[in-house]
Amino acid sequence: MAVNWAQVLFNSVVTGSLYLIGAVGLTLTYGLSNFPNFAHAEFITLGAFIGYFVAEQLGLGLPAALVVAFLVTGIVGFLCYRGIFQPLAERGATIIHLMVASIALGFILRHSINAIWSQSPYYFTTTWPSYTIGPVVTSSLRVWLILIAIALAIIMHLILVETKIGKAIRATSSNPELALASGINVNRVIWITWFIGAGLAAVAGVLRGAGTLVNPMAGWDVILPIFAVVILGGIGNYYGSIAAAFIIGLAENFGVVALRAVELPTEYRIAVAFLILIITLIVKPQGLAMLFRRA
Amino acid sequence: MGPLSYILDLLVFIGIFGIVSLSLNLEYGFAGLANFGKVAFFLIGAYTYALLSQIGVPFYLCLIAGALISAIFGLLISLPALRLRADYLAIAVLAFGEILRLVVRAENIGGWRGMVHISPVFSWMGSSLIYRLENIGLVYFCLLICFIAAQLLANSPYGRAMRAIREDEVAAEALGKNRARYKAQVLMLGSAMAGVGGGLYAQYLQCLIPGMFMPMITFTVWIMVLLGGPANNWGALLGAGLVELFDRGANMAKDYLALPIDPSNLQYILFGALIIFVLLYRPQGLLKESPIKTKALEAARYARSAIKNKGS
Repeated sequence: MAVNWAQVLFNSVVTGSLYLIGAVGLTLTYGLSNFPNFAHAEFITLGAFIGYFVAEQLGLGLPAALVVAFLVTGIVGFLCYRGIFQPLAERGATIIHLMVASIALGFILRHSINAIWSQSPYYFTTTWPSYTIGPVVTSSLRVWLILIAIALAIIMHLILVETKIGKAIRATSSNPELALASGINVNRVIWITWFIGAGLAAVAGVLRGAGTLVNPMAGWDVILPIFAVVILGGIGNYYGSIAAAFIIGLAENFGVVALRAVELPTEYRIAVAFLILIITLIVKPQGLAMLFRRA
Repeated sequence: MGPLSYILDLLVFIGIFGIVSLSLNLEYGFAGLANFGKVAFFLIGAYTYALLSQIGVPFYLCLIAGALISAIFGLLISLPALRLRADYLAIAVLAFGEILRLVVRAENIGGWRGMVHISPVFSWMGSSLIYRLENIGLVYFCLLICFIAAQLLANSPYGRAMRAIREDEVAAEALGKNRARYKAQVLMLGSAMAGVGGGLYAQYLQCLIPGMFMPMITFTVWIMVLLGGPANNWGALLGAGLVELFDRGANMAKDYLALPIDPSNLQYILFGALIIFVLLYRPQGLLKESPIKTKALEAARYARSAIKNKGS
């Protein structure tokens, strides 16, 4: 069977874009609060459901869905941090306590979603016009996904480098005590980061939900590759996560071609990300971070 | 199922999850290792048991083989993350559990979609009551062995080294304790125990599907340990009992209560809220950490009380 390499390459960019949008929030909150938030998966799921509600049930279209999902899930993310993780951290909880609490929060969110939207899975009824560009077949949704990822990468870069809040985020991430001593309101910085992080997870959720289906496991299904992106990119490293997202996107899509060639089930595609995760831990636990300026 | 039969069934589950809870207590409670993939080792034990018993291996060998293979995987999977921070281990092991379930499903181990049937050790002849009583005997025998092993370990010099590593890795290493080796050994032991639990689970249920090994199992065991009291083996058992009781109670309440939301969702939400509540207000769990017992400490305590008595 001839492989359409251009298509595989394009698919890799699509996958990488989704992982990038999903991973940026996780890596920033991870770097800042020093624990992996496993409930990030449920922020993605929540985004998908809110997106479906706004775009399909209210009929307001995809752009409105993206904005509403970003805002609502962002507020939920902020409230979760303020209500659970901040009090825990103030009481001197260990990193393991915080991780367990994040899993507990994930269960609360997932099953609350399941209770509210009990008829899932839902499918977006919008049909996305498809285009053929040379050898590559694509749909408008996937073009949107790539454009949003590029725009996000540029906007986040500008925020982190140019704005006061971005500089505060980077300062707090690298040295919280020094940031506090320099007059940065560390708590406010963390709150804003959790808001942005959860909001971006929701954007990833809407885009994934629109392309596939919306169910309570939507976020959990992509959380492993997203964790692989965060670890490979170096925890808390924004530029590292951009590179890592596209590396894992490529590896997964070329992995699928390889799996087909040796006649293994393509369900193993998620194992590719796992393999990269383990290899990163063995070879270079700090990931690609050293290749990039600290961010 | 009659009420007595139901209670016996509950006791079997408490026994099986008591074993798994003890194993996590060893890893997390004493050694401070965040094993977020407990279900993976539970699964390995269960499927090893199932596949070996299908080719006619006696049941005790199946259990032992499950424990050994679990231990090997516990070692292999933890090796890359042992020298790193707790979160790396947590992510790696959690991911391992997910991948393993996927592999079992994709490979169709045991037939359609990974469904395996196991012939039970005890026959159903007689009544389900006797069947359950026999199972209780088997499960609680295994639980007793695991409990004694865990208690001996906790009060041995080895157990004190584990606690030292949990409290301060660098200090323990400076005192000549090879932390990576200790962690690897503890993970092997814990995984072996979880493997035994998995084998018993398979034997009792007589049917396995990959969907039985969701991350929820891992999380349930974490609740048991955190609620009962980390670093206290009695606490691990108490937690297993309480959580299983709560689980059954919620299941029963379903039939009698008319709730505005689906009770199975409510149950998970309550589980999540419970764990956050425990972490916030009682992070040491219901039972406190078991004290260190050594001859020297006992002598010192005795001497202190003797001096106090003389003074008064």
